[in-house]
Amino acid sequence: MKVFITEHMDVARLNRRRFVFFSSVFGLTSLATWFVADLYWRDAEGLSGLEIVLLALFVPLFAHIAVGFCTALAGFYVINRGGDSSRISLSSPEGGPHRLASTAIVMPIFNEDVSRVFEGLRVVIKSVQKVEGSDNFDFFILSDSNQPNQWIREEVAWVELCKQVGGFGKIFYRKRRQSINKKAGNVADFLRRWGKNYRYMVVLDADSIMTGEALARLVSLMEANPSAGIIQTAPRTVRGESLYSRLQAFANRIYSPIYLAGLNYWQQHEGNYWGHNAIIRVQPFMEHCSLPELPGNEPFGGRILSHDFVEAALMRKAGWAVWLAHDVEGSYEEGPPTLIESAKRDRRWCQGNIQHTWLLTARGFRPANRFHLLMGVMAYVSSPLWLLFLILSTIEMVNQASTPRPDAADMLPDTTSLFGYSVAIPEALTLFSLTMLLLFLPKFVSVVVLLGRSEEAAAFGGRWRVVISAILEAFGSMLLAPVNMIFNTKFVIFTLLGQGVGWVAQKRSAEEDGTDWREAIITHGPQTLFGLVWGVSSLILIPAYFAWLSPVLAGLVFSIPVSIFLSKASFGRRAMELGIFLTPEETHPPEELRQLSQNLEECYRHLPPFEPLRADYGLMQAVLDPYINAMHVSLLRQRRTSAVAREWFAKLQLRLLREGPGKFTTKEKMALLLDPQSMINLHRELWSLPSESLAEWWRLAMRQYNVLAAVPSTALYR
Amino acid sequence: MAAVTGEPFGAAPAMGLPEAFRPKTGTMESWNAAYVRVEDYLRAHRIHNRLHQSRLIQKILERAARRHEEHPALDPTMVAAEETEALMDGWFGDVLDEKGQPHDRLAIDGRVALLLCDGPVHWPYAFLDEDNVPEDFVKAMKSSHLEAGPDLAVSSMVPRPIDLGRITEAAGETLERFERWPVLRALFLWLVFASALGGIFYITR
Repeated sequence: MKVFITEHMDVARLNRRRFVFFSSVFGLTSLATWFVADLYWRDAEGLSGLEIVLLALFVPLFAHIAVGFCTALAGFYVINRGGDSSRISLSSPEGGPHRLASTAIVMPIFNEDVSRVFEGLRVVIKSVQKVEGSDNFDFFILSDSNQPNQWIREEVAWVELCKQVGGFGKIFYRKRRQSINKKAGNVADFLRRWGKNYRYMVVLDADSIMTGEALARLVSLMEANPSAGIIQTAPRTVRGESLYSRLQAFANRIYSPIYLAGLNYWQQHEGNYWGHNAIIRVQPFMEHCSLPELPGNEPFGGRILSHDFVEAALMRKAGWAVWLAHDVEGSYEEGPPTLIESAKRDRRWCQGNIQHTWLLTARGFRPANRFHLLMGVMAYVSSPLWLLFLILSTIEMVNQASTPRPDAADMLPDTTSLFGYSVAIPEALTLFSLTMLLLFLPKFVSVVVLLGRSEEAAAFGGRWRVVISAILEAFGSMLLAPVNMIFNTKFVIFTLLGQGVGWVAQKRSAEEDGTDWREAIITHGPQTLFGLVWGVSSLILIPAYFAWLSPVLAGLVFSIPVSIFLSKASFGRRAMELGIFLTPEETHPPEELRQLSQNLEECYRHLPPFEPLRADYGLMQAVLDPYINAMHVSLLRQRRTSAVAREWFAKLQLRLLREGPGKFTTKEKMALLLDPQSMINLHRELWSLPSESLAEWWRLAMRQYNVLAAVPSTALYR
Repeated sequence: MAAVTGEPFGAAPAMGLPEAFRPKTGTMESWNAAYVRVEDYLRAHRIHNRLHQSRLIQKILERAARRHEEHPALDPTMVAAEETEALMDGWFGDVLDEKGQPHDRLAIDGRVALLLCDGPVHWPYAFLDEDNVPEDFVKAMKSSHLEAGPDLAVSSMVPRPIDLGRITEAAGETLERFERWPVLRALFLWLVFASALGGIFYITR
C-alpha cells in the first residue's frame, strides 16, 4: 500500500468540489423529475403503473445527461478562470527541461495496416530522437497478428524501420506464439519479460501518435509526482478523411476541452485509464494490475475485456494516483471512418463495459472508480433504457389519446408548476427545454468560448466556419443519436443473451467509396423499418406526439443514406475544401502528422503484389526471399520437436512445394512459419528442386518475384 | 548411371558463358535450367550487377559441371544450387569468422548480416568475391546482427483475485448455476418473458 497525499489536493477541498458537482447533478435531476411527475400526475390526478415505470426510467437517464452537463459546466468555470490550479501538468512545464528515466513505448498490434503502424512509429521515433535524453526510450512492437502475410510484412517493416532510423537495439519486435488474453495479455507478456528494465511504459494504440515532447513531458510528470501510477493524456482525433470521421474529430476538438477540464475538476488524482496514450509506472502496475477472470463464462464473465478501467481502479485501490493530463499537447489517435465501423467498435466496448457491472461493488475500489465503471456501463445500457422510455411514452400517449378527455373547465391548466408556483408555460415544453439545455448548452458554450479567441477560431477556419460547422455537427449528431441508440440496444441485448464478440482488427482509414449500399441496407434496414412502423403508427394514432418524436424517427428512417453519405472520403475532402469541420490539426498540422501523411501517401502509391500471388505473398517471401527467410528464421525460437512432429512437418513442406499454398489452411501455414527448421528446409528445397518438381504457383513466384525484386522490395518502400 | 540424354552440348557457347564452359554431362536444357535458377537466386540476393552476376554464375556452373561428371544422375539444377550454397557458406564463413559452423547457421547469419548492412547495394562487386572484399564491408557484416528483444529480465505478474463483494458474488454464483443447469436458464428466460408480457398487458389496459 502506497500513499503520498502531499501531491494531491487536500481532502476537504476535493470533497467540496465533489459535493458541488454531484449536488448539481442531483439538483438538476430532481428538478426534471419533479416536472415529469407533475406532468404525469395532472392528467388523471395520480400516477398509473405505466407512469411509475416511466418515471423510474427517467431518473437514471436524466441523471446520466446531467453528469455530462455538470462536467462541462465545471470545465467552463475552470477554463474561464485560466485553468485549474490543481492539475498534474503544472508540475512539469511544457518545453522542458524534462527529467527522464528508462521508458518503454509499447505498441500492441493485431492484424493492423502494417504501413500505418510502422510509419506512425517512425514519426514517433523521429520526434523522440529530437528530445534531449532520447536514449531513455525503447520501443516495442508487440504483435498478436495471426495472419501469415501480416506477420511477415510486420517483420520486414520492422527491419526496414530499424535500418532507416538506426533503431537496432532500441526498437524491438515481439510476436507471441499464443495470443492469450488479447491486448491485456500481450502487454502483460511484455512486462513479464522486460518490465523490470523500465521504470515507465507508455502504451500506444496502433493508430496512436505522440510527439517526443509529449512523451518526455509525461515521463517528467511521473518523475515530479512519485505517487502517480498512471497519467492519461487526452488524445485528439485526427487524420479523418470521411465526413463521418471529420465530424467526430471536429466535435472532439471543439467540445472536449471543457468536458476534460470538468472531469479533472472533480476526479483529480482519481482519474481513469483509457488503454492507450498514457504513461504507467511499471512496478506497481505489475504488482497490482494483473487481472483475474470474472465468475462465469464469456460474454458476461471470463476474461476482462475492457481492462483499462479496471487497471485504473486497481492502481487507485493500491494507493497510486491516476491523473488525467488533459492539457498535455501532442497526443493523437484516429477514429473509425464510418458509422458502421464505429458500431463494430462499440460492439466490443459494449461487452467489455457491461462486464464491469461485476466490479461495481468490488471491495476496496475507490468511489470515484466505481463511478467511472458505472458511467462506462451506462454509456451502453442507457440506450435500451432510452428506447424503452420512448416506446413506453408512445404507449402512454396512445392511452391518453384513447381516454375520453374531461371538459376543459375540469382540466388543470397546462402550466409549469414548482412548489405551488405556476408559470404560464406548458410543462412539457419546460421539460423539453431543460433537456435541450442540458444537451446543447455545453456545445453552445464551447463555441462561444472559441469565438471569443480570434486566433484559435482562425485555426478552425474562422468564426463563420466554426458556427456553420457547429450547426451541422449538432444536426448530424441529432441524426446519429437514434441510430446509435438502436445499435447499442442490440449490442446490450446480444451480450445479455450470451453472444460474445470475436477479436477483429479495427478498420481505421476511409475507403474512397465508403460504405456500399448493400452493407448499409443489411446493417440499417431493420432500423429504417422500425422507424417507419413507429412513425406511421404514431402519426395515425397520436398526430400531436409525432412532432415530438420526429427527430428520433428522422435519424432511423434516413439511417441508410445518412450512413452512406457520411462514409464517403470524397465528401469529407469537399467539406474540408469548404472549410467545414476544420480542426487546427488540419489547418496547421504538427510536423509529426504532416510527415505521417506524406510517408503514407508514398507507401500507398506502390502497387500491391501480383494478383495470383497476393493471397500468400507473406508466406512466399518467407520461403523464397533469401533475406526475409533468414531474418524470419533468426527471429524464431529454436524448439525441440518430436520425431512424429518432424515427419508431419516434412509432409507439409513437400505438399507446399508440390501443390502450392492454395489448399493450405491458415493454421498449417502458421505452423510452418513458426517452425525454423521447416523454413530453412523449404528455402533450400525451393531453390534446389528442378522446376518440374515445383507447383506452378512457385514457378510463377520465382519469375515474378525477381522482376519485383529489381528494386529492393520492403514494406516501407524506401 | 545416368543421364547424358537429350542433345549434348555443341560447339556454340551456351547461355552467353565463355567458351571454356563445356559440361560434359547433362543436356543443354537441364544446364539452361540450372543457369536460370542460379541467376534467379543471385538476383533474389539483389545482385543486379550483370558483370558480377555473370562471373559468379560461371564460377558456380563450372563447379557444378565438374561435380556432375562424377554424379551424372543428379539434376544439374540441384547440383548448381548445392554449389551456390557451398560458395556462399565458404564466403560467409570467411567474412564472419565462422568457419566450420553448420550450413544452416552460416546461411542464416550471413544473409541476415548482408541484409542489415545492405551489402549488395553498398558493395555491388564484393559479395561472393573471394579475393577483394573491402575492409569496411567485412566490418559492416561482422557488426550486423538481429536483436528482436533486449536480454530477458523475467519477473512474475500474477493475477490477484478481486473481492467482488457479497452482492456480486451471489450474482456470480447464480449465473454459474445457470451455466451448469441449462434448464434453470430456460426457466428464468421464460419467467422474464412472461413478466414482460404481463407488464405490457397491464400497461396497455
